[in-house]
Amino acid sequence: MATKVVDAAGEPIPTSSVLMSSAKHIEIKCMSENVEFLKCKKKDPNPEKCLDKGRQATRCALGVLKDLYQRCKDPMEAYVGCMYYHTNEFDLCRKEQQAFEKACPLD
Amino acid sequence: MTESVIRNKPGMASVKDMPILQDGPPPGGFAPVRYARRIPNKGPSAMAIFLAAFGAFSYGMYQVGKGNKIRRALKEEKFAARRAILPVLQAEEDERFVKEWKKYLEYEAEVMKDVPGWKVGENVYNSGRWMPPATGELRPEVW
Repeated sequence: MATKVVDAAGEPIPTSSVLMSSAKHIEIKCMSENVEFLKCKKKDPNPEKCLDKGRQATRCALGVLKDLYQRCKDPMEAYVGCMYYHTNEFDLCRKEQQAFEKACPLD
Repeated sequence: MTESVIRNKPGMASVKDMPILQDGPPPGGFAPVRYARRIPNKGPSAMAIFLAAFGAFSYGMYQVGKGNKIRRALKEEKFAARRAILPVLQAEEDERFVKEWKKYLEYEAEVMKDVPGWKVGENVYNSGRWMPPATGELRPEVW
């Protein structure tokens, strides 16, 4: 179902609830890759020109997801399930968010 | 006949001497009735009322401002999350687009191979910037 964070092979599934749940971690850990990608896009919106930077950004984000899943599986799954239920509304999932950020702090 | 029986005065000579039976005021008259207006002039003054209204209004606006700050913080949280995952989603879409675009360029070369002087591939606008293809359909296989 859509609340699973990783598929059968252990690779993270980037659904909207998973991405929104880990957005704060991605923002901190992948800041440089994201900024590089956005600068490349601003210079030239052609998709073919920014493919490699996009791949770096995706790799970083998926790495963050996998790392979070390995470090704190249960709070993350609870938070992702709550976000899926409430359609990515942060204010309705505060309890799970607190538990998740206590288990995997934001640095 | 009954009138003379009721209003009989002993020693009456004729009916014309009967005493008058009237509905009238009690002896001594009625008690005096006050009909003058007496609206008291106490209570809050104009300045007091104005200050109370102004105070209530400003307290309400203060609460509105506090609530707006909280709401803006919530919106900022949502937008910051969207900004953080934007590159991932855009990169995925770019990969998909590049694949589709290459297929389309091959199809265009195939179709226009007999047309003389047709430079296949990107014959879009002259400004030098890249514009997304304006086919009117974003993703035909989806829509």
